[in-house]
Amino acid sequence: MGKKLVVIGLIGTTLDVGKTRQRWDRWRPSVSICQHEDLVIDRFELLVDERYMALARTVSEDIGSVSPETELRINRLEQPDPWDFEKVFAALYDFARAYPFDLEKEDYLVHITTGSHVAQICLFLLTESRHFPARLIQSSPGAQGRRSSVGTYSIVDLDLSRYDMIATRFREDRREGEALLKGGIATRNKAFNAMIADLERVALASKAPVLLEGPTGAGKTRLAHRLYELRKGRRLVDGPFVQVNCATLRGEGAMSTLFGHRRGAFTGALEARKGLLLAAHRGLLFLDEIGELGLDEQAMLLRAIEEKRFLPLGADQEVTSDFQLVAGTNRDLTRDVRSGRFREDLLARINLWTFRLPGLAERREDIEPNLDHELDRFAAEQGTRVTMNREARSRFIRFATSPEAAWNGNFRDLYAAVTRMATLSTNGRITESVVDAEIARLRGAWAPGDGAEGGFVARFLSPADRERIDLFDLLQLEQVLAVCVECRSMSDAGRRLFQASRQTKASSNDADRLRKYLARFGLEWKDLATYQPGS
Amino acid sequence: MLCIDGSFGEGGGQILRTSLTLSMMTGTPIRVTKIRAGRGKPGLLRQHLACVRAAVEISGAKAHGMDLGSMTLEFHPGPVVPGDYQFAVGSAGSAMLVLQTILLPLAHCTEPSRVMLEGGTHNPAAPPFPFVHDTWLPLMGRMGYRVDATLHRHGFYPAGGGQVEVAIQPKTSGQTLHLRERGAIRSREVVAILSNLHAGIGLREIKAVYTALGWPSDSGRVEELRSGRGPGNALVVRVECDHLTEVFTGFGEHRISAEAVGEQVADEARAWLDSGVPVGSHLADQLLIPMALAGSGEFRTLPLTEHTRTNIALIERFLPVRFIVEADGPAFHIRVEPTNEAASAN
Repeated sequence: MGKKLVVIGLIGTTLDVGKTRQRWDRWRPSVSICQHEDLVIDRFELLVDERYMALARTVSEDIGSVSPETELRINRLEQPDPWDFEKVFAALYDFARAYPFDLEKEDYLVHITTGSHVAQICLFLLTESRHFPARLIQSSPGAQGRRSSVGTYSIVDLDLSRYDMIATRFREDRREGEALLKGGIATRNKAFNAMIADLERVALASKAPVLLEGPTGAGKTRLAHRLYELRKGRRLVDGPFVQVNCATLRGEGAMSTLFGHRRGAFTGALEARKGLLLAAHRGLLFLDEIGELGLDEQAMLLRAIEEKRFLPLGADQEVTSDFQLVAGTNRDLTRDVRSGRFREDLLARINLWTFRLPGLAERREDIEPNLDHELDRFAAEQGTRVTMNREARSRFIRFATSPEAAWNGNFRDLYAAVTRMATLSTNGRITESVVDAEIARLRGAWAPGDGAEGGFVARFLSPADRERIDLFDLLQLEQVLAVCVECRSMSDAGRRLFQASRQTKASSNDADRLRKYLARFGLEWKDLATYQPGS
Repeated sequence: MLCIDGSFGEGGGQILRTSLTLSMMTGTPIRVTKIRAGRGKPGLLRQHLACVRAAVEISGAKAHGMDLGSMTLEFHPGPVVPGDYQFAVGSAGSAMLVLQTILLPLAHCTEPSRVMLEGGTHNPAAPPFPFVHDTWLPLMGRMGYRVDATLHRHGFYPAGGGQVEVAIQPKTSGQTLHLRERGAIRSREVVAILSNLHAGIGLREIKAVYTALGWPSDSGRVEELRSGRGPGNALVVRVECDHLTEVFTGFGEHRISAEAVGEQVADEARAWLDSGVPVGSHLADQLLIPMALAGSGEFRTLPLTEHTRTNIALIERFLPVRFIVEADGPAFHIRVEPTNEAASAN
């Protein structure tokens, strides 16, 4: 013999009612659950308010008749207002706390078919919280026919069965979501994984703007795109992914690129332009290097975020676009706010959810999984599988994870390193000598004296070329290049570089001076123009 | 230990009840597997459990698998103890099936017993009380079983709550049952029992039976019950003959007309009346075990039901007897005799 089965249930002040013999033709939940051929209730704890004692007696007699096995206990439960959530909850809570549950000898079922909806919700909550250490029993009337008054029942275990499956499903979804955000790379860095887990939750729960901070090459664009894929997969967006690097948007074109213009809005506006914000309607707009955005554009953007409306250039009517904004930055925007370069209200609007992407140097344990990922990517792009032999691999990893490896360009450096090694591999195998050469190349690129963080000289000149240049010139070149990459044209850069001396000259060709200077190092302006910060 | 496949033949609760009765009668431990395996709700249901519990109680048996839904039951009976018992069946299940399970073991004791049964007394798919009282027990009495059953309260589905008191005296040596003929019909009666229902229903049922059987319309009466719980309706056709009384019972149901209920019972009665045999199909089932225990006896009946064939096969596994079934025109002749081993052992 198993444990005793005990049902706890409220009397149904509507459903259980009936005095005449017709009551037997009707489904009365409290009586009916005692009538099943495959369910024997050993004890029934009926919860009854004072006003319904007469009804409880009829129900009690009828249960005695259909179920002589059942011991019926009537418990008084004050319920002056069965729709008062607080009072009902308190009454049931007190009952549960006082009830001498004996889980070793008895199994409990809470009948949630009777009682007001408020009472049913309270019973559910108290069962879910294990104040009632019970399963739920839900009964329902049967189809028409001989047994219709008995109906059917089902028992629901909130700890097990499909509820557990739902919980598992949720966990599974989360793992999938995180895997997607990590691009399928089994990252090991704790801080990074925690950041991704947070981002996954935010991405699915919120439409608010997200700010991704991190150095160039840390993978902001890729992450923004995966965030879009995740939201799209869960049908939270159905518009497109639109991205732009704000550093490329300076000057007159910026406004119209972002917000669009009407035909004839300005000289040269021969055709109307939709603008990126409108293109991102119902989708996700990724504005990388948002710190590079001009103040006018910032003002427009703020309004577009807050009101989902903005005025295209030359238009007299506002347009609507509902997009989610993800912004990226490698600058300290707080400092930019202090110096007046960035609007404080815009920052406040976009940094509700700020996620900082660590550079690769801070995630050394993730270098190995990313190395595999890059090799896979190369194989997918080139159609040939490239592998590293064991010694080559451990040599590369040893260097890559050592403090010596600066990884200034972060994932972009790793991407470049793998591409170079894979290209130089023989018969699809990356050997120790290829690895050694690459290590030397990386060492050179990150060598001290290469100037600022970006290492522009290393970016544009090979180590061999650099060896022929004096340190004196290297230091100067680094600064010159730093200015060049910030300027849109050679003239622009020339003007800034030769600002002082050009005042005293009758005529000057700053662009020419710059071209000649660059030529000394074998560089041309168009080489520099291919570089975009943060891309 | 005797292993019984609960799914063989008719495959229902009868296999379990017959096995329990014979296990107690013979002191044979049994293991019944695949109990009601092919049924919609397989395994032990409430009414089956009630029979197992009653058997455990009167015989002090050790039982394993005595749970709802259990498909295997092990039952080790002890000596049957006569006395006062009270058994209740839930969900308005038939109390008569409990009686059927325990009656023979108690009757074979040397002291009397008194059993109070509660639950359904007039159930479809079970011997209803009028059949037990008017048909079965008198024949049992002829075989030496002195049983007196009193209906205190009717119990119908779904409300149940019926009550039957049964006084069981120790069995005396009775006669061997020879039921080849029914003899002349002495009386016939149609009774519509109505519990908390309109009398008009009963009158329509009775009329339907008259019409179908071509009987004169003076043999019907309506029995109205006001004290019973819940509604209920049974239609009883009783035919008293020289050698036995046969009872056929129909049950009123929701959405089935009174006329349909009447016609259905009339069909059953007519099949028996036309055949000329004494023993109807339901009665045949009830006579097999006492006859087998006696080791001899015979009767003529209608073509055998699956129920009856299953019962015969089961009884032959417990007792050293053999049933000989022979076609006798459209009817069948069933005879029981000891097997050769039993005969030689004696």
